[in-house]
Amino acid sequence: MSYLRTVLDSRELLMYLTLREVKGKYKRTLLGQLWSLANPLAMMVVYTFIFAFIFRVQPDPGDPSGLNVFALWLLCGLLPWLFFAKVVSGGVDSLVSNAGLIQKVYFPRVVLPLSLVTASGYNWLFEMAVLVIALMIVGAWVLPWLPLVLLMMLLLAVFAAGVSLLVAVANVYFRDTEHLLSIVLQLWMYLTPIIYPLSLVRNLSNDVGGLLGTPITLLDIFRLNPMERFVAVFRQLLYDNRWPDLGDLTFCIVSALLALALGFWVFARKEKGFAEAL
Amino acid sequence: MNAVEIDQVSKSFRLYHERNQTLKSAIMRRRRSVHEDFWALKDVSFDVPEGSTFALIGSNGSGKSTLLKCLAKIYWPTSGSIRYNGRMAAMLEVGSGFHHELSGRENIYLNGSILGMSKKEIDRKYDQIVDFSGVEQFIDQPVKNYSSGMYVRLGFSIAISVEPDILVVDEVLAVGDAEFQEKCLQKFRDFRDEGRTVILVSHSMEAVRDMCDHAAWLNKGHLMTVGDVDSTIEAYLGGKGAHGAA
Repeated sequence: MSYLRTVLDSRELLMYLTLREVKGKYKRTLLGQLWSLANPLAMMVVYTFIFAFIFRVQPDPGDPSGLNVFALWLLCGLLPWLFFAKVVSGGVDSLVSNAGLIQKVYFPRVVLPLSLVTASGYNWLFEMAVLVIALMIVGAWVLPWLPLVLLMMLLLAVFAAGVSLLVAVANVYFRDTEHLLSIVLQLWMYLTPIIYPLSLVRNLSNDVGGLLGTPITLLDIFRLNPMERFVAVFRQLLYDNRWPDLGDLTFCIVSALLALALGFWVFARKEKGFAEAL
Repeated sequence: MNAVEIDQVSKSFRLYHERNQTLKSAIMRRRRSVHEDFWALKDVSFDVPEGSTFALIGSNGSGKSTLLKCLAKIYWPTSGSIRYNGRMAAMLEVGSGFHHELSGRENIYLNGSILGMSKKEIDRKYDQIVDFSGVEQFIDQPVKNYSSGMYVRLGFSIAISVEPDILVVDEVLAVGDAEFQEKCLQKFRDFRDEGRTVILVSHSMEAVRDMCDHAAWLNKGHLMTVGDVDSTIEAYLGGKGAHGAA
């Protein structure tokens, strides 16, 4: 709790560090902020081509929205994932790359990884706004769900912040973390139903049945992944336009709070040694 | 009234014979690393009187920089405690955290907030910072285009404008040209006249004698003498001479 206080007290510093990230990033580029859209759009084109046209993956149409556009269905899951991946892969390096600062000035170190959450969050907000406009053009009734979408975005930011704090601390002591993480994030992305629908996993799981004679199915294990739940809720809100599944929502809330609490706890315990360890 | 009370402060560092910073070696060896403790500071206790200009002196490796970093809250003492009466700010390097692509103006706000100033405070001191640094002509240019002199002058001006009750300074007094150095020294004198406490590390005994009224002599992590500046310097120089003779 006292740690939240520290974060609140250093919110102005957090704001300036966020501005440093946001402004510094696209300085001297012609397209500026538009570059943040380039990566998700390129991935959308590639995945849509491969998975919708070559592999013929067919997610269920939005219920009750009736949408049936693979590219938009994909983006509803891909944009949250890309945000999460950017926060975590940027956060892992945030303490090590600011070693000079940490060794020369005292300030709450936690703002370094957190500034990446806010900076990436700013870009994500921009991307999601474009997605919402696209969804409305094809006739989805998204507007009433926007407050809940924003709330979910906040929740995912909390989850990402928690994970990012943990990997940032780990990377101070074991520099392998950042290399390992890039592999883990790739695996994690493919284990999360972003480019394929969960129904494919469900079919497989039904065929296999209970694992090793237990009633636990493949699907149950698959759904332990918090990102799976986040993606599901984002799709329910944006693509299906309906109330999120209560179980999924609860899972998201609990995992976000747990991740943040664990992240703060580990960070607070290790923070005092950073200047020496770096 | 004491500005800072240093009580039984010890600081040890691990000297790694084999530093295992990779997972592979950690797993292969079943333990993190082979190390021994090196005590950079051992049971150092003294008080810094309020309003004094206080120097830490000693030869290389005496632990004075470690103590300074403990005072600046960058290192945490292994044992013992440091108590501050008032707001502390440290100037161990100027211009830390400048972003090269951002303008001087943006960096004033960024750097100021890293040093613990609020936006309101920076707004209020903005003109003063720019004035003191003498870079107003270039304030909207990215700092990567600054000359190294302009860079440190801006950094120094931001750091000095924090106006803490207790200022902790490494040997950064010598920034900029002679004219700017004179301005810096004047600023430190103003600090003293305003009743603020300055703690600094320096190798130049002339500068220490000129600026400070109290000093502490550290040798190999132990406190040798503490007291008014002249007698401490005398003890230090005498002690060094004796060591040299032996």
